[in-house]
Amino acid sequence: MDVSRQAAVLGVGQTQHASRRADVSIAGLVREAVDRALLDAGLEHRDIDAVVVGKAPDMLEGVMQPEQFLAGALGAHLKPLIRVHTAGSVGASTALAAVTHVRSGLFERVLAVAFEKQSEGNAMWALSPNLPFTQPLVAGAGGYFAPYVRAYIARTKCPPHIGPMTAVNARENGGRNEYAHLREPMTLDDVMNSPVLWDPIRYGETCPSSDGACALVIGSEDVARRTPHKPAWIRSGASYAEAMWAPGRDQVSPRAGKMCAKAVYDGAGIKNPWKEIDTAEIYVPFAWFEAMWLENLGFCDVGEGWKAIDRGEQKMGAHLPINPSGGVLCTNPIGASGMLRLGEAALQVMGRAGAHQVDGAKTALGHAYGGGSQYFAMWVVSDER
Amino acid sequence: MASLRNVAVVGFAQAPIVARDAHRIATEMLYGQVRAALDQCGVERDAIDFQAAGSADYLDGRPFGFVAALDVMGSWPAKPDLHLEMDASFAAYYAWLRIQAGDSDTALVCGYGKTSEGEPDRVLNLQLDPYYQAAIGLDPTSTAALQASAWMARSGATDRQLAALAARRRAAGARNADAQLREPTTADELAKTPWAVEPLRQGYLPPVGESAVCLILAAEGKAEKMCDRPAWIRGVDQRIELQTLGGRDLSRSAGAKLATERALAMAGLARAADVDVVELCATTPAEELILCEAMGLDAAGSRPAINPSGGPLVGNPVMMAGLIRLGEAFRQLAGRADGHGVAGARRAIAHGAQGHCLQQNVVWVLGDERRWT
Repeated sequence: MDVSRQAAVLGVGQTQHASRRADVSIAGLVREAVDRALLDAGLEHRDIDAVVVGKAPDMLEGVMQPEQFLAGALGAHLKPLIRVHTAGSVGASTALAAVTHVRSGLFERVLAVAFEKQSEGNAMWALSPNLPFTQPLVAGAGGYFAPYVRAYIARTKCPPHIGPMTAVNARENGGRNEYAHLREPMTLDDVMNSPVLWDPIRYGETCPSSDGACALVIGSEDVARRTPHKPAWIRSGASYAEAMWAPGRDQVSPRAGKMCAKAVYDGAGIKNPWKEIDTAEIYVPFAWFEAMWLENLGFCDVGEGWKAIDRGEQKMGAHLPINPSGGVLCTNPIGASGMLRLGEAALQVMGRAGAHQVDGAKTALGHAYGGGSQYFAMWVVSDER
Repeated sequence: MASLRNVAVVGFAQAPIVARDAHRIATEMLYGQVRAALDQCGVERDAIDFQAAGSADYLDGRPFGFVAALDVMGSWPAKPDLHLEMDASFAAYYAWLRIQAGDSDTALVCGYGKTSEGEPDRVLNLQLDPYYQAAIGLDPTSTAALQASAWMARSGATDRQLAALAARRRAAGARNADAQLREPTTADELAKTPWAVEPLRQGYLPPVGESAVCLILAAEGKAEKMCDRPAWIRGVDQRIELQTLGGRDLSRSAGAKLATERALAMAGLARAADVDVVELCATTPAEELILCEAMGLDAAGSRPAINPSGGPLVGNPVMMAGLIRLGEAFRQLAGRADGHGVAGARRAIAHGAQGHCLQQNVVWVLGDERRWT
């Protein structure tokens, strides 16, 4: 291809996340993140050329295509706007859709916004879809994913303390993130003694339901050179999706995730992610998925993901800090969770992650997934072009 | 302006619009269209670099309805993909941006959804501001009636004129094999039908209808191999407006006006009237007249031909009515419009819209020749 335009993250904004943000409407919640992102980028609404909005199922709030009523609050009147919905990966694919706008050459500054106000509805109900020709046995996302966690444990002989260890580390990290929803520390015993919700997933290994929003300003190379803060350069990004019922599909380590990771590493010129990536924000809604994704993303060989966690290599200050923000296990406004992963990766390479900054982070991965482990969206960001 | 790639519509397939397909779920309706569009282009799914889809969970009445569509779109092994919770014409817009960004040369765009699964008036009420407008029970027929009243008050248009326009579209629909309403009728008959919501009569509005559509885009170099007469995209632009019904002049479509100006400028055309065919995504006669004014078209003129397919007034499958307009423009330029073809059509405008009272509009300008050299 002859077209290869650069894009960068100019600004990052997020709300304070909580189980119920009763102090704001949906528009107020979204605006809190947007205002912070614009302030961070040193821009006004009038500087924005297009808006990309993402959120997970509209049933979570009971508003169909809510971006339509939010157009005013988003400053989108008479601007181009698209609304993305790719299940749990949506926040990440929304950010990547904004990158596409910039890389088309038609837009200089694009606002990407993702949110969920879960307290408006009932996530357990909204995340228990009744699929055609399928027994309606799925009780929320955990009910869907638990069998694949069991399959991972059976295949790799992953010991029972790996999930709890991951959950404890996430909370330790979340405690350093001023925006996180759950910041109270937990012990291994706390997690081990919490009730099993979907065997083997315990309450303490499960993400919360959060109200929250995230916004990013994505800009062209030209604009990024004049931005007040050092931008995060988007070295590469990709989103892939695969069929639900294809024979041979492996939901423990989906092919779509491997293809997406390969595309992103190839685009960024990364040959060995374990060595070349300094920190990663990956989508871990249930603690066991951290080990599973370490393998799917090519950081570890098959069966080695849980061993890296057992050695503590994912902790702050260790070889590959995973989810220094605390990740989805501490904060889960579903539609925004993927964008938070990409935004947190950007903050790390900008050197502005505050108390959860990874020292010397130059290259970071942001990752999200959704559907029945079908949708994957990722980017690699760096402090240099 | 940035240097742009020449991209064309090279394939389009649509399930005939029906009130209710009682035998097929949405993805089954879609599968045949994906197959037919690929066959038109003489390619298999490995020739597709990117895929995009437009649909809405609330039409299906369940979350993640779009996930099942991956199976029939051929996403195995995985494909670069984006699903938009929008009319599929906006999915086509995003696919066009992807091709402009240079990481794809070809794209498959799908629209699907079973409007008959629920009551569209109740479902689409949920699009409104939940705090102030949805709660008072406004539905799209009521908001369209507010808009029609505003148009009639400003323009002096009469009930008789709305009836005449609806009758013309019904006559066109009789020539379109994919239309839902295929019985011609007279303005006199339509003007006798009861009010749906005054000033809109039942005869002026499309019935509930459902379909499934698939459209294929390809960049120069591949487009010519996939289609003998590609419809080249010469310009495109889209705009959203405030939803607040009291916050905008409902008798005008500022978004359609601006999108048309930008799309025409990209296409290097001075006026919308310089094209041969226009397909408007208007679900009431008043919307069509408002759009004609916004775009600078003579609603009563013979050239350009407006909605030779009959338009959404003879079949309005929600979430794909806009993409069908783009497909119809392709059919006209590619000589595939059969019974409703416009002789000598070389340039076309396709319009897509979604939301209450034409809240969001996309305008495509197409031609039988490439725009950029």
